[in-house]
This record gives sequence, C-alpha cells and structure tokens, in this order.
Amino acid sequence: MAFNGDPTERAERRHLILASAFFVLSLVALSIPSPAQQQIATVLRLTVLHPFVVMQRSVNGARLRAVENAQLRAQLDTLVALMSNTGSLAEENRRLRGLMQLGGRLGASYRSASVTRSGTPGSESVFVIDLGARDGVRPGAPVLMRDGLVGKVIDVRRSESSAMDWTHPDFRASAMTAEGAAYGIVEPDRGSFREEDRLLLNGIAFFTELDPGTAVVTSGRGGVFPRGVPIGTIVELNEADARWRRSYWLRPAAEPASALHVLVAVEGGFARTDLGRAFSDDSGPESRAPLGSDTTDPGPDNEQSAAERMRPVPLAPTSDSTGGGAL
Amino acid sequence: MRIDWKVWGTVTFLVLLHFGLHTGFGLGAVAPDLLSVALLVVAREVGTGTGAGIGFGFGLLEDAFSALAFGANAVAMTVVGALGTRTRDLFVGDSIYFLPSYFFAGKWLKDLVYWMAAGDAVRGPFVQEILVESPVAAVYAAVVGTVVATVTGAGWRT
Repeated sequence: MAFNGDPTERAERRHLILASAFFVLSLVALSIPSPAQQQIATVLRLTVLHPFVVMQRSVNGARLRAVENAQLRAQLDTLVALMSNTGSLAEENRRLRGLMQLGGRLGASYRSASVTRSGTPGSESVFVIDLGARDGVRPGAPVLMRDGLVGKVIDVRRSESSAMDWTHPDFRASAMTAEGAAYGIVEPDRGSFREEDRLLLNGIAFFTELDPGTAVVTSGRGGVFPRGVPIGTIVELNEADARWRRSYWLRPAAEPASALHVLVAVEGGFARTDLGRAFSDDSGPESRAPLGSDTTDPGPDNEQSAAERMRPVPLAPTSDSTGGGAL
Repeated sequence: MRIDWKVWGTVTFLVLLHFGLHTGFGLGAVAPDLLSVALLVVAREVGTGTGAGIGFGFGLLEDAFSALAFGANAVAMTVVGALGTRTRDLFVGDSIYFLPSYFFAGKWLKDLVYWMAAGDAVRGPFVQEILVESPVAAVYAAVVGTVVATVTGAGWRT
C-alpha cells in the first residue's frame, strides 16, 4: 500500500498547483501577441459581456437623445423668443406705417415723436415726447396717432415736451358727431384702473338721440384741437339729465397706453382747422377698425347711415309731465 | 465542499452590477470596483486554486475592454484571489476591523499588481496611481464590501 499522505495536505497541494497554473495562464494571457489577445477579448465581448455592451449602446443613445432634446428645447425657446419679438416688431411696424400714412396726409405741420412714460405712480396720464420748442412745439399742441386724438402738449422745453392724454382729469375736447349735427364736450371718466378709463360725451341736446356706433370727432371749436380728429364712437347712453341734456359713453378711438409714436402739431399745424379728410382717407386694413370706418367717411354712401344713426326724438308728452307740455 | 448559495448569489449580483455600472452605464471611477469586492468575498469561501481560477476569469472579463494591457487584470486578480483564500488560515475574521482591512488591502494589492503587470504605455506615475488614487479607490471598495458582507453575511465564515 502506497503512502498517500494527509488528504488535507493533498488537497492543499492540489490547490497550490491549480493556483500556480492559473497564475501561469494569466502570465501567458499577458504575454501572448496582441492579435491573439484581441481575439480573446472580442470573443468575451461578443458572448459573456454582450448584454453589457448592448446596455452601454442603449445608455449612450439615451444620453445622446437627452442632449439633443435639451439642444432642441433651447432652440425652440430661442425661436419662441424670436417670434415674440417679431410679433411686437410687426405690431410696431403696423403702427409706424399707419402713422407715416397719416403724417404724409397731414404734411409738414405735424411731426412724429416718440413717447416715453415715466411709469411712476401719479404720472399715468402724462407722457414725454422727444420734440420741444426748437422743433416748433407749443403748449396746447394736439397730439395725434393714427387712430385718433391722444391728447395735447401741456409743457414745452427746448428738446422735449410733456403732454397729457385723454385720461387726464383736466382733459376736455369740444366734439361733434362726424356729420356735425350734434355738439358736446368730451371729458374723461377715470376707472378703477387704466383699462377702465372711459370717455364721456356730455352736453348733447336732450332731444338729439345718438345711436351706438356713431363716430365722434373734434369740432375745432375753441381753437385747441383741429376739426375732424376722431375721438371715439358712441357706446351707450350714460344719463339723460333733467330732460335738457344727454351724455353718452364713448369707446375711445386711440388708446394712450399703446401710443409709442405720435404726431405732434408744430408751427403751422395749428392753422389747419379741418383734419377730417386726413383721417377719413386712412383706408388701411387695420385703420380704426373699432371705430367703423364708414362712420367717419364723409362719402355719400355713409351719409344715409349716419343720418339714420342720429335721429331727432319726437316731441311727445311724457307720463310724468305736469301740464307744462314738452319742451 | 458545501455550496453557500448566499455567497454565490451575492458574488453573481456584484459581478453583474460591476459590469452594469462600469460598462453599461459607463460610470468609471464613480462606481466602486465591485469585481474585486466579489473576488474577495468568494475568496473567503473557496480553496486557493479555485480562488485563483475565479480571479483569472474575472480578470479576463475585465481585460476584454483593455486594448493595451490585456492580461494585467488577469494576473492581478489571480494573485488576489489566491492570496485572499489564504487569509482564512491567517485571520479568524471576527474582528470588526478585519473586513474593511481585508477589502482595502485586497483592492490596493490588486491595483499594485496591475500597475506592475501593465505596460509603460498604460500605467501612470507610481505615486499618483498607487499612493494617491488607489488608496481612495480601496477605501471606497472597503466601505462597499463591508456593507455588502454585513448585509448578506457573505465572507464572515472562517
């Protein structure tokens, strides 16, 4: 019987031999030529490690898509910003184009000016224009925009002027219907906030009833504003006071808050007393659409409709009259 | 030899997680060297030859992505696998400091052998790689290995 030694020792020796064999194998793997190494590596990558390689491709693809997504979103944001600016530029272009058309009809007696608002509390109805005494601007000069009357100049300095718009509590304008059949005074009625500001046509004779949509323009009386500048359109009756006068709410023709560029009368502009034609010739697609251009157009087609809008109230005794008869 | 499924399950999970994090997600040094942790865990359970064989296999898998130092990981992990099995005879392993020290030393030794086996084209400066970066990676592996061994109970058997 041969001596085989301790089984534990034999196992230990076997493990040492095995470990040595693996160590030698690892050294072989380290020292074999590079093509053979890469062949082994390729086999491992295509078999055992293939799921991880596929996973890496998927993760890289997802990362790439995330980056592309972020880039696309950034480009989209840029485009949206660009489009927003383009929208405001288009709007400003439209206003300027309208102003240029109006300025062309008004001639050199009106000059365009840029509007600056301080934005401080209490200065809501006052704005500054970049024309002053050296440009021929005088206190009281009317300030217009394409849609109609904005206000008037109240203070003139050398190179700039202050002006009030129609929301100013002191604003008053002598007005008439476009056909000149009814006269009154337009004054502001302040709302709780800017968008609530309205115009009131006051002092209309009690027996003259104006229909909604009737255009109201400056009458030229008093010499402050030239005749024919749109102020607004009749919206509804405000009150019929003591049966001797009526007042009407007006929808303003010009929104002062949207005025970035205006036309201001300079030397010579005050002499022009009737601007009705200049405004009624404004035939642009957006021209005073809220007003209803037919009401300001003095053409024959509109005379009938204007006459229909303004009809006299028949004299008839009312139920509350006490024998005195109608006025 | 009795097969401890808890140990082998843990080792399999660590290997899959290692390649998932390093290869699949490409995390690099952000993820710990779970392959070394797995080898050190299993080395406490198997004989010297088996440990060396497992180390050799793990090393070859790691080397599959190495173009310039193919075999260096195989050498390093064969040595670590073989020496890891010997720690059962040298250390009882019931001290709370043993496991962290074991994982730290194993990982650091693996990096040292790899550095020696890798060619000049691959290895960096000794001080930077072995004395600075490797200890940090070894601490990382020690923390993760200790947590894994504590949670799963693998690697405690003496």
